[in-house]
Amino acid sequence: MIKITDLEKIYRTEEIETVALNKISFEIKEGEFVAIMGPSGCGKSTLLNIIGLLDDLDGGAFVFNDTDVSGFNERKRAEMRKHNIGFVFQSFNLIDELTVFENVELPLIYTGVSTADRKKIVDEVLDKIQIAHRKNHYPQQLSGGQQQRVAVARAVVNKPKLILADEPTGNLDSRNGNDVMQLLTDLNEQGTTIIMVTHSEHDARYTHRIINMLDGAIVTENLKS
Amino acid sequence: MFRNYFKIAFRNLLRNRSYSVINIIGLAIGIASTALIFLWVEDELTFNNYFTNKSELFKVKNSQTYDGKTYVFDATPGPLAQGIKTNIPGIKNTARCTWGDQLLVSIDDKNIYSQGNYVDPTFLKMTHLEFLKGNASNAFSELNSIVLTEKTADKFFGSIDIIGKSLKINNAQNYIVSGIIKDLPLNTSFRFEWLAPFKIFENQNDWLKQWGNNGIITYVETDQNSNIDNINKKIEKYIATKTEGSTVSLSIYPMTRWRLYDNFDGRGKEIDGSVKYVRLFSIIAWIILFIACINFMNLATASSEKRAREVGVRKALGSNKKTLITQFLSESLLMSVVSAILAVVIVYLTLPSFNTLVQKQLTVSIFSPFHISGLLCITLLCGFISGSYPAFYLSSFNPVSVLKGLRLNINSGASTIRKGLVITQFSVSVILIICTIIIYQQIQHVKNRDIGYNKEGLLYTGLKGKLYENFGSIKNDLLKIADVKNACLSTNQLLQLGSNSGDFEWEGKDPSKSVLITLESVSPEYIATSGVQLKEGRDFYANTIADSTNIIINEALANMLGKKSAIGSQIYRHNGTKYTVVGVIKDFLYNSMYTKAQPMMLFSDLSNINYLTIRVNTNQNLTATVSKIEAVIKSHNPGYPFDYRFVDEQFDKLFRIEALISKLAGIFAALAIFISCLGLFGLASYIAERRAKEISIRKVLGASIQLLTMLLTKDFLKLVLIACIIAFPIAGWFMYNWLQDYEYHIQLNAWIFILAASIAILIAVTTVSFKAIKAAIANPIKSLRTE
Repeated sequence: MIKITDLEKIYRTEEIETVALNKISFEIKEGEFVAIMGPSGCGKSTLLNIIGLLDDLDGGAFVFNDTDVSGFNERKRAEMRKHNIGFVFQSFNLIDELTVFENVELPLIYTGVSTADRKKIVDEVLDKIQIAHRKNHYPQQLSGGQQQRVAVARAVVNKPKLILADEPTGNLDSRNGNDVMQLLTDLNEQGTTIIMVTHSEHDARYTHRIINMLDGAIVTENLKS
Repeated sequence: MFRNYFKIAFRNLLRNRSYSVINIIGLAIGIASTALIFLWVEDELTFNNYFTNKSELFKVKNSQTYDGKTYVFDATPGPLAQGIKTNIPGIKNTARCTWGDQLLVSIDDKNIYSQGNYVDPTFLKMTHLEFLKGNASNAFSELNSIVLTEKTADKFFGSIDIIGKSLKINNAQNYIVSGIIKDLPLNTSFRFEWLAPFKIFENQNDWLKQWGNNGIITYVETDQNSNIDNINKKIEKYIATKTEGSTVSLSIYPMTRWRLYDNFDGRGKEIDGSVKYVRLFSIIAWIILFIACINFMNLATASSEKRAREVGVRKALGSNKKTLITQFLSESLLMSVVSAILAVVIVYLTLPSFNTLVQKQLTVSIFSPFHISGLLCITLLCGFISGSYPAFYLSSFNPVSVLKGLRLNINSGASTIRKGLVITQFSVSVILIICTIIIYQQIQHVKNRDIGYNKEGLLYTGLKGKLYENFGSIKNDLLKIADVKNACLSTNQLLQLGSNSGDFEWEGKDPSKSVLITLESVSPEYIATSGVQLKEGRDFYANTIADSTNIIINEALANMLGKKSAIGSQIYRHNGTKYTVVGVIKDFLYNSMYTKAQPMMLFSDLSNINYLTIRVNTNQNLTATVSKIEAVIKSHNPGYPFDYRFVDEQFDKLFRIEALISKLAGIFAALAIFISCLGLFGLASYIAERRAKEISIRKVLGASIQLLTMLLTKDFLKLVLIACIIAFPIAGWFMYNWLQDYEYHIQLNAWIFILAASIAILIAVTTVSFKAIKAAIANPIKSLRTE
């Protein structure tokens, strides 16, 4: 599903040039659950942003779903992203001004689903993550775990092929963290590919494969038995 | 302590450079426009202050009622001045004065027309005119003497040491210069280049002895502290004591009200004159200032989250609410001081153009105590108004929650107020746009009105020297010029018909009600030259004597006669003279372009003729045609400059006040919009900054740039729409009342409101979307990477 060859990302300021990603190559197959690990500043978030088509690359090739996307402009990337990728962030990134229902509904609005269908789909998803009873609440009225579950719901509502999770449990206690990890595992079992950046060994245990990074390069790839 | 405040205030101004620039420019423009308006208002309110005894000076007003409608004139009979001075206690002095006369003055081989008045010698004393040469007591001791203003003396002789020099007047008699007076400032009611003894005028005009002939102005000076009501009681029916049965009522009207009032309704009661514009523009000045202050309030509270930490730290370190309020107020004061300095520069730079616009000689001096204290007051006021709300709002933050970094929830109240303020700004802007459009439309509507003849290609000149006696041959020579169509003589120029009378009766008329009829004496070519349409009957015969008892009337009068055809009807003067109607012309407009034509009569009579009117073709040869006309006239009337005017140009001048009001309204509308948009721009940048994270999330979830731009713009659009809804009824009510002042006026039309709203929306959306697009195309990961 994802094939990355010699990927480079370089940040330039007036004085210094920082190589964030140094000729990385790897492949991820459909249905995989992969963790990317490594110390702060090793380039894992940058990699995730590029895979998520949020950021462009400075060198190398990136094939997503058999399409070479490395030369895509902003508009094409947005189009590809909207239909294929869901995001889960460490800080949830729910919109405070919108209710739970409205937050989850957003991606469907942007892909042009009709009002009636949206209501049906959102209700279904909220039911599945057991938060339907709070659908008219605002994010700040929920606990952290509940907020992250809403964020996951929002990420999957469009039925994306790929979910990118950036430290999804980083702001949660262990009980809520486990709930969220269980949710992601369930989704993976239903066929969604998931790539997750994490610091937590515990969370990494839920995945099939761990990519370890250091200073912009991949050090090891452990396939779990 | 204060140094610390100002240091922080100054650093804040520098740090938030773009907000500071927005605030300062907006406020400086606000202060500058307010200052210009107040200079204008000051000039209007101090009108005639040049006369130290202003409160003791009056003119006599003459009220006459026709058919239930009262007309108030300045015109009074000749013997009145002497009569009331002797008979009414409390009146110290009176002076007769002519309406204004044009003299041809010849010095050596120079011939110059000069405007002035014939006045009684008492006029010089009553007004305390300042004599540079000669003196008020014996300036008019010789009959043919003349007093010149400084500027006129300079124009004639290049010097003011000219006492005893002789001026040749109208190529006839000589006047001896007997005094030079200091020029009067522009903000006085008198405009003259010379003054000459009234006696000269009196000797030439026998009608001045009649009590029934109102032809001059009578000025009155009262004793100090005399009871004006008592004088008015005695003067009211004074004419009736001289001519039996006269219903004319007189009163004295104070100089203090000449400029801003001097306007009377149909019952003869004084109503507001130009004072309503003084009031209106004072209000506009304050509103513009307030709009500029709003920008500061909005931006200060909007960016308050950034300052919240500072407030928290200060409070934790022991600062109390009062010192914080002082600190924030000193920031806004500093800003308004900077703005005021900039405003002074703007005022100095724009005053010359403003003077041209309002046709005044306003001066500003930062050293004048009145102006400097005015500026200081405005500056302090701005500082306090714009600083007050942010100061109280910011200082009320709770230090604990602020320092813990909790999200501030008090924001919702502040944002409501902010929305209200933006709505206020745009309501004012929309109101001003609507007013501008309507006033402009009304002027165009009246200008394009069919006034009854083609006013283009008509030029006229006052009859001077031999023009009258040589008219026959002049006309023959003029008609030889290819582009001259016709020429005629008349008492008045076409746009201003000055004589009227209620002295007529006809069969079927109620004798108890008199009808005021305009009278105009003309040569037989009048209708053909002017292009007024003959509706019925015939034109005057070429031979004036054949029509000496025949008249042509207009439709308005014909309708009053109440017959199917007015031709052959008889109209009588009270003295018994009988006239027969031989023709009816279609109504044409004169005096007021806003009303219907008043009843009028044309006489074929050459005994009272002042103007020569010429009809020419308007083509590219116009200049050449005019110089040919000039050559003809000069050859028949040597020694007189050819001084002419075009009727259509004079017509345009009738709308001077309306045109000025429309221009000012337009300028202030543009300023209000500009200042409001400055604020809107600042607010939009702030909102875009604050919502950056939300925008990024939406973008990651697939929102397009158009959708995001719309999302940000929508909220502001809503405010502007609400502003329109508030502005519509206010502007509508206001303009409806304004239009009622004009009998001939446009109807309020929905499209004007829609147009104004569209302009405001378009400008606001452009301003906001500029920022919104920038926020929408920003890379989302920048805002999301906060951890």
